Amino acid sequence: MWFFRSPQIVFGEDSLSFLNTLDAGRIVIVTDKNILGSGLIDRVKKNLPENAETFVISDILPEPDYDNMLLHLDDVKKFNPDLFIGAGGGSSMDTAKILFALYERQDIKVYDITPLVKLNLRKKSHLIAIPTTSGTGSECSWAAVVSEKNEYRKNELASPEILPDYAILDPEMVLSLPREQTINTSVDAMTHAIESYVAKWANPYSDALAEKALELISNNILNVLSNPENVDSRNNVHIGASMAGMSFSNSQIGLAHALGHSFGAVFKIAHGKTVGLFLPEVIRYNYKSSKNKYDKLNSIFPDNIRKPSLDMTVENLFKKIGQPVKMNAMSINEDYYSQNFDLLVELAENSTGIITNPEDIDREGIETIFKKVHGD
Amino acid sequence: MASFPGPEWADEYVKALNGNSEYKDAGKTWEGDITFVVQPDDRYSKKWYLYLDLFHGECRSYKASDNENDIKKSEFRYTGPYSNWVKLINKEIDPIQGLMTGKFKLEGPMMKIMRYTKAAKEMVNTASLVKTEFEA
Ligand SMILES: [Fe+2]
Repeated sequence: MWFFRSPQIVFGEDSLSFLNTLDAGRIVIVTDKNILGSGLIDRVKKNLPENAETFVISDILPEPDYDNMLLHLDDVKKFNPDLFIGAGGGSSMDTAKILFALYERQDIKVYDITPLVKLNLRKKSHLIAIPTTSGTGSECSWAAVVSEKNEYRKNELASPEILPDYAILDPEMVLSLPREQTINTSVDAMTHAIESYVAKWANPYSDALAEKALELISNNILNVLSNPENVDSRNNVHIGASMAGMSFSNSQIGLAHALGHSFGAVFKIAHGKTVGLFLPEVIRYNYKSSKNKYDKLNSIFPDNIRKPSLDMTVENLFKKIGQPVKMNAMSINEDYYSQNFDLLVELAENSTGIITNPEDIDREGIETIFKKVHGD
Repeated sequence: MASFPGPEWADEYVKALNGNSEYKDAGKTWEGDITFVVQPDDRYSKKWYLYLDLFHGECRSYKASDNENDIKKSEFRYTGPYSNWVKLINKEIDPIQGLMTGKFKLEGPMMKIMRYTKAAKEMVNTASLVKTEFEA
């Protein structure tokens, strides 16, 4: 027995106008200051039902901790919303999930948000996610990532009840996404698809979505980078990223995420860049058990990118878009790397991606991958 | 061959757990006790408890019994019907998916155990390492 879970998806041009059809009058919008400054929140507001009152929370930091996420919980309770909208990257959408849960259930604490407890949310309000990057997949997931203050580790809070009711995938929201973030988030999305496809919990639903996600992203990402304002290409990558998110949130991620989380936490490097850094080496590590599935995925890439095996194809595409696959291409501080080597291994070892990766790995195996990607 | 559930199985399990270097490493900061609870079903008619006192990557003491009063109250309890334990030991159920689909129940402070996913996984892997024969 297993589940497939997904929000209702509203996608394509003009999909923000769906907001207008909602029966909502008091709306909390959770975002960050860059998104607010870019004018995207005005675009969301313009599409809300007439006379709707809004309360905008715009000070969500990248990779927020609990304090940052819950800073405005009391104000939210006073505002008494009937709808939460998380509009932004993973941090804003995840914060909206947590605020939604703690507003609905004022008797619980953040740590009570686990899949093992029935929360009975949606007594007062609903939850919508509007991604402004094409990659995290948070709009389709029932998890929220929270950083621990003064610690490297992050916690993943999960409950099927914090899955958004709707995900709105409007390409307008990503048309002006800067090049660097477009690359990082698309690499994250491709990594979600590839890891999900071979994960221990992979299933026919997650497989189908991973295949289509990879097709959409690999056929459109180069065009997005050369014509960032091309709505069709942006739309395809945006939908693909969301499918990859839906895929992994129903089957989980793997070793590239475990290694990437660790490396990103220690070196403060963007999530997509760090998971992509390890992906080709992780594909080689998993090849024994996953060859058939990897070959199938390899066949999905366009002819002008495909190489004889998936690890090589991924490296080829990454090279074209400027995603490094060796640490020396990222000019990291070598002394800091060797001082923190044990910490890197330990953080990776305790990351949840280890559990669902198709091949088990021990400490020594993790050390070997770090060394290979370091270029030892 | 140790028959599950039973005292020899408990002996063999704890021996295997204390010999598992991956567990020792993953659980090296863990302090807390847990009880495995086997509930009766149509294949097995009794209850069975295995209490494990786990400290810094090692099982310091343990006690198996079919009487709940014989064992200490522990911080965590991992509970499931006999048939699901058989599937878990045979690696036919993933322990976390087992929890999420209601085949097993975990009681105790979630926040604490979430930090030890690797240790939890090694505890289950260890169960599959014990050469086991089943009652039915
Ligand atoms: Fe990711």
